[in-house]
Amino acid sequence: MSASGRVLREIRANRRPLRLLGASGQLGYGVPTPAFNAGLARKPDMIGCDMGSIDIGPTYLGKGEMATSPESTRRDLRKVLHGARSLDIPLIIGSAGSAGAKAHLDATLEIIRDIARTDGLSFRMAVIPADTDREMLLTAVRDGRVSGLDDMPALTEQDVRDAANIVGQMGTGPFRAALEADVDVIIAGRACDTGIFAALPTALGFPTGLSVHMAKIVECASLCCVPGGRDSILAILDDDGFVLESMNPDRRATPVSVAAHSLYEQSDPYTVMEPDGALDLTNAHYAAVDDRRTRVSGAAWRDSTDPTIKLEGATKIGERAILLCGSADPRFIAQSKELLPKVGIVVRDLVCEDSPEDYTLRFRVYGVDGVRMNVPPNDTLPGEVFIMAECIAPTRERASEVVRTCKQFLLHYGYPGRLSTAGNIAFPFTPPEISVGPAYRFSVYHLLHVDDVDALFPIEVETL
Amino acid sequence: MKLSEIAQVIRSKNAGPRRLTFDIMFGSDDDYRRVAQSPGLSAETIGGLYGVPAAEVTIFPYPVGRAIKVVLARKIMAGDPGDFDVYGAQQHAPLLGIEI
Repeated sequence: MSASGRVLREIRANRRPLRLLGASGQLGYGVPTPAFNAGLARKPDMIGCDMGSIDIGPTYLGKGEMATSPESTRRDLRKVLHGARSLDIPLIIGSAGSAGAKAHLDATLEIIRDIARTDGLSFRMAVIPADTDREMLLTAVRDGRVSGLDDMPALTEQDVRDAANIVGQMGTGPFRAALEADVDVIIAGRACDTGIFAALPTALGFPTGLSVHMAKIVECASLCCVPGGRDSILAILDDDGFVLESMNPDRRATPVSVAAHSLYEQSDPYTVMEPDGALDLTNAHYAAVDDRRTRVSGAAWRDSTDPTIKLEGATKIGERAILLCGSADPRFIAQSKELLPKVGIVVRDLVCEDSPEDYTLRFRVYGVDGVRMNVPPNDTLPGEVFIMAECIAPTRERASEVVRTCKQFLLHYGYPGRLSTAGNIAFPFTPPEISVGPAYRFSVYHLLHVDDVDALFPIEVETL
Repeated sequence: MKLSEIAQVIRSKNAGPRRLTFDIMFGSDDDYRRVAQSPGLSAETIGGLYGVPAAEVTIFPYPVGRAIKVVLARKIMAGDPGDFDVYGAQQHAPLLGIEI
């Protein structure tokens, strides 16, 4: 019997509180070993790790690349695999490879298979892809079963066809089904982070509201503590609540720090929307067990009458090249807002002599308006600025041509009152132009209305 | 007194690629109540600082976490051409100087 079968059978036969170890909220960026080992010493019933997020932007999803380095990803996967196998408990990983599409899942599985081969580990592994079938989605668009999230414009059939990758965020159901398939390891594509940790308790009949609330907190490891951090966290769940304890003795889970975690990256601190329902935290209660542990109770669950899967998709919009430079000339800085678009026109007149204007060129002046959404009118000007010019063009060559031309004409552009006639900008190194690679944008951020939220995520099992 | 002199945490982050959310957290219930009851932290003030209509600013008092959450629509979706803060983690600065 494999780990999930053993744990399910054992606890069904002899019901007791469940122990869940949240090893990492961002697997691949490093799992601190002392806290992880302290967690293993507490004999958890499962280890869970979240591996992805939409926060990292559209390019990883579109391009099929991981955000984490292969070396650190391998180190983390090896650590959690060995930990789970040493205790014969399930290891559950969601949103594999940063964005959870096929390329990310395949790259993650390749590392896992290689670790198993090299280290002589053998186990049963469930794999749950999250890619959205295009024909199914086209039919759903035509049938009006897709709606935009947060005022996202309606999804078109063209959007569906053009996207490089489209994934759906699976909920808890597919993880639960994988656990019932008697496996040791579950690797899922794009997934709600709650599914990773709520599957085992809900499969065992623990209350859904408490299970999902616990899952929402431990998926970020010790981020809910003071001071917050990446160390592993242990949750002990019973039928009335759960106790949180960081596996780093310097991190304290206090009632206020745990409650405040519900704010993190959420637009509503009292409600968490899931594919098949909503977590309601209105009556959540947080009480200190001691100065390092907090007991949480009171979360409620409401089943949805309109089950939905959140879809994420990215479309290639061109190739990106950038120019990096700076200025310390007060007259140049004072005029930069007017001057840079004029340089853009000079560039256009040159590079579009025999080609259409098929690119965009943007300038960002760090120190003036590079970061802020809204710059106050009487803002003082800095002594020096950093300038980034960014071009997105149909080809790498075209983007490079535009930023190289831009570099030369920005360097020598004559503006009213100019004193520094040998050059307007400083380069930290040369060449100061960099081809960044393909650029993508999120073209899909929608809800797919479905009857069965789990049917879209088939489970494959392999034995290593 | 300025908000940055009372709050323990003033942070911004995306809540999905189309929303920006701000968490203002306090070290004591007194500090929380003082700010939550202050007319300084209003949808009008925040809308003015970010150049969005007050009607598009949502404020959630969250006493159990000694915190106030503010949610705005992003003007540019995260990662779209022209975006300047993909994670939305550096949009908090205008809040620091709000007078309470």
